[in-house]
Amino acid sequence: MMKQKTIIFSFMVLFVFSLLFVGNTAVLHAQKKPKDTFDFPKLNKIQIPKIKEVTFQNGLKLFLVEDHQYPTVDIRALVHSGNAFEPADKTGLASLTAAVLRTGGTKNMKGDEIDKLLETVAATVESFFGQDYGYVYASMLNDSADKVLPVFADILRVPVFSEDKIKLAKMQEKTGISRRNDDIFPIAIREFNKLIYGADSPYARQSEYATVDAVTRDDLVAFHGKYFRPNNMMMAVWGDFDTATMIKKLKKVFGPWESVPVNVPPLPKVDYKFDYTVNFIRKTDVNQSNIMIGHIGGLMDNPDLPALNVMNSILSTDRMFQKIRTDEGLSYAVWGNYGAGYKIPGVFSAGAQTKSESTVKAIKLMIEEMKRITREEVTDEELKRAKDQYLNSYVFNFQTKSQIMFRMMFYAYYGYPLDFSEQVKRKVEDVTRADVFRVAKKYLNPDNVRILVVGNDKDFGEPLSTLGTVNIIDITIPAPEEKK
Amino acid sequence: MNPKKKPVTPVLLLLVLVFLIPVICTRALPGQTFETMKDTVKEKTLTNGMKFIVLERHEAPVVSFHIYADVGGAQEVYGITGISHLLEHMAFKGTKDVGTKDYNAEAAILDKMDALYDKLTLESLAIKPDKAKIDEMKKELDSLKKKAKELVISNDYINMMRQQGDSFINAFTNNDATQYVSSLPSNKLEFWMAMNSDRFFNPVFREFFTERDVVMEERRLGIETRPMGKLFEDFIATAFKAHPYRHGVIGHMSDLKRITRKDVKEYFKKNYSPSNLTAGVVGDVNAEEVFKMAELYFGRIPGGVKPEPIRTVEPEQWGERRVTVSARAQPTLIVGYHRPAVTHEDDTALEALANIMGQGRSSRLYERLVKEKRAAVAAYSFNGWPGDKYPNLIAFYTIPSKGHTSAECLELIESEIEKIKTEPVTTDELTKYKQTAKKRMIDRMKSNWLMAMQLTYSDVVLGDWRLLFDQLKDIDRLTADDIKTMAGKYLVMKHRTVGEIIPEETEDIKEKSK
Repeated sequence: MMKQKTIIFSFMVLFVFSLLFVGNTAVLHAQKKPKDTFDFPKLNKIQIPKIKEVTFQNGLKLFLVEDHQYPTVDIRALVHSGNAFEPADKTGLASLTAAVLRTGGTKNMKGDEIDKLLETVAATVESFFGQDYGYVYASMLNDSADKVLPVFADILRVPVFSEDKIKLAKMQEKTGISRRNDDIFPIAIREFNKLIYGADSPYARQSEYATVDAVTRDDLVAFHGKYFRPNNMMMAVWGDFDTATMIKKLKKVFGPWESVPVNVPPLPKVDYKFDYTVNFIRKTDVNQSNIMIGHIGGLMDNPDLPALNVMNSILSTDRMFQKIRTDEGLSYAVWGNYGAGYKIPGVFSAGAQTKSESTVKAIKLMIEEMKRITREEVTDEELKRAKDQYLNSYVFNFQTKSQIMFRMMFYAYYGYPLDFSEQVKRKVEDVTRADVFRVAKKYLNPDNVRILVVGNDKDFGEPLSTLGTVNIIDITIPAPEEKK
Repeated sequence: MNPKKKPVTPVLLLLVLVFLIPVICTRALPGQTFETMKDTVKEKTLTNGMKFIVLERHEAPVVSFHIYADVGGAQEVYGITGISHLLEHMAFKGTKDVGTKDYNAEAAILDKMDALYDKLTLESLAIKPDKAKIDEMKKELDSLKKKAKELVISNDYINMMRQQGDSFINAFTNNDATQYVSSLPSNKLEFWMAMNSDRFFNPVFREFFTERDVVMEERRLGIETRPMGKLFEDFIATAFKAHPYRHGVIGHMSDLKRITRKDVKEYFKKNYSPSNLTAGVVGDVNAEEVFKMAELYFGRIPGGVKPEPIRTVEPEQWGERRVTVSARAQPTLIVGYHRPAVTHEDDTALEALANIMGQGRSSRLYERLVKEKRAAVAAYSFNGWPGDKYPNLIAFYTIPSKGHTSAECLELIESEIEKIKTEPVTTDELTKYKQTAKKRMIDRMKSNWLMAMQLTYSDVVLGDWRLLFDQLKDIDRLTADDIKTMAGKYLVMKHRTVGEIIPEETEDIKEKSK
């Protein structure tokens, strides 16, 4: 950074003196250049909200936090379940259950009436399943809470899954199937997931016309009945209320809900064997390739997680971005990330989208970046930057009371320590170059990655076969069975 | 430095608590929330014309910054389409101090490259280009590129920001504006000031040609490989025949290939004078301190003239326009009608019209097309496309369900439009809109960054940040007849454009029977 700038300097001196003359010194002396050292004042304290935890007699676990800044109430519920638990020949069952739970009406009200009631008071209730959780949330203005809470509770407790709305949801699901090959990015994500977990794995498989058709109303009723029990869920409530009053209100609508022992099956295991494969999906109408490269990842409770976080930051934000985007101009979005899940192993993946011609070039460069981080230690500068980034932005985990409470609920749901993020943060402080090197070598296997390209091979600069034997994946959508 | 850090004696603390508790326990009312917040906002225009709008919020020790540059795709002309967005990318390339090992040496090479690039372009455009000469120039350009690169500290700007804790650093460009986003721990106010004032005071557009390639990839990603992207681009180009909204933001590929560093420098000079920039700062800061620092740091940028407003006004449409995109994808339908700019008095009623027609499961289009007829899986309407500073479109968008056509959906939309033109909407529908607008506003206020964005937007586009808090009054005044009137006035057949994706029958999208 040392420059020969005597001339500029003397101008500066002149400038300073001229300002001195008009008595503006304090101002100029205070002005800093970006590369100067800044004395940052002490950061104001993070405010940890008072979170009230209650468990009703029926086992429903509640977290509540008052926040009177805005006249709203928000509720999020987590249900021990997930689409990993739907049978393979009925793939789509969970997503249909979530949809019709919300739209199919309750014992006390028709679905269309619920739509109207909620929207007239600007309330939202939505539900969906992830791989290993069910999620239902509600958001409302505080003055409509008395109207919305009973409806919200009914949706969770006594949905009726009307046939008509099941038909509608199936139509939507099937339309989704018919459109799933329209854009290449979703194709890449979906098919890569199948490459890693296996096409039949509950963590990757997709619904088909046949599996959607196979789902009946009884299946929905049973899936809901099995998991939606007060003793099998937890709920976080945030907003403009008095906690004691809110507990009373919730007790009124959820209290009578009977608990029934729930047997949540263990999560299916992931069986992964490392190998090197090159996979290709042909789309002749595009001029850009979507590239995904990787292998299985790990779990968040891994003691190496802090070092992996630092490694991810260096590999993704620093190196992949620098090489593929900034230096070579090959892609707009690019990443390289060792993913870790709470209970289900994540995926290590690197991705980019580049013009057809540079497809193979980009892949080689990406793999080289993976190799480099397992071949030599990162620099002191990279390490410091990654750690500073993590530690200095850590405060953004405490922006609002709701953010803090919802994170806590997720930790509670997955059986992680409630101060998990704090523990990780403290360990990040101690991560060394050797740690990063060790975890890179231990967890990344750049010689045994599965490569997926979705694109137009007619225009590839180098053929994909230069990378190895190419396995062509057929993504043709299986047609629905003819009606007999 | 920070006024909040003064020690408070326990007695005083107790007193404060005793008096505050009853206040805190009282329920917040929407009206109060807006008025209280409105009273907290402070503004200051620097001597060079740049405006700062500050909202102090001390819930967490963080602060969000939003710089709104009043320039976007709409300011562009043929030949440089996409330049606003490209400039946004270049604004991350550093300054004379950030991103370089030796600025003077670097600048000399960059100038040389520019001159050579111009020569190269001329030669390639000659009627009979001299291939050998071109190759030689390309080689030289490459070697200059390498030399320049050696002097660059790549990604220095973004890395320095991130290292201080900014994981939100970003920017985006639309037809109306270019917006720069940043969030930091609140003790780093001065660092933000130093970095961001330098960015607009001393920018250096280095690594230009590579970044232009990145933008071309972004175009391929967003438009050229996505059937919907293609439809959006062609739709807008059809609906607007004169107003520059028709170009879109990302720019034409041929322009992207030819825009030069000089173009970007000129564009910057013209459009980034302080009077064209507005900053929003929301979070754990002291407003007076922000203003003082802003004058010190941003105040050094010389003032300039605000660019002349766009002259071209979209003329009246003389008849329905149709546009199709053939793609290996399923059908999609968009219908758009011309409507005035967001500042027009009809805006509030038009927002209500869009909401009642097509937002939510109880909206008219969803009820009719999805629930009743099962012709579509989604139906949605919205305003402000492709921008809202100038006259724009109110649009209706549907995804036909499997086995159904766009034509069927269009017919159903038309019949719903006829209905809303002739009968006043119901009280429930009007209530729904009013409540939804209120709820949406409150939810957006919860985030520092969204708040900073809305304050700057309201000030620049609506003319006064206070309008952000006052719009509810307009909304409350709406009547059922207003909506009917708007439908009759704007949803006129000959003022509409209809766009669809027509599926190409090819092997790629055929379904395989067992």
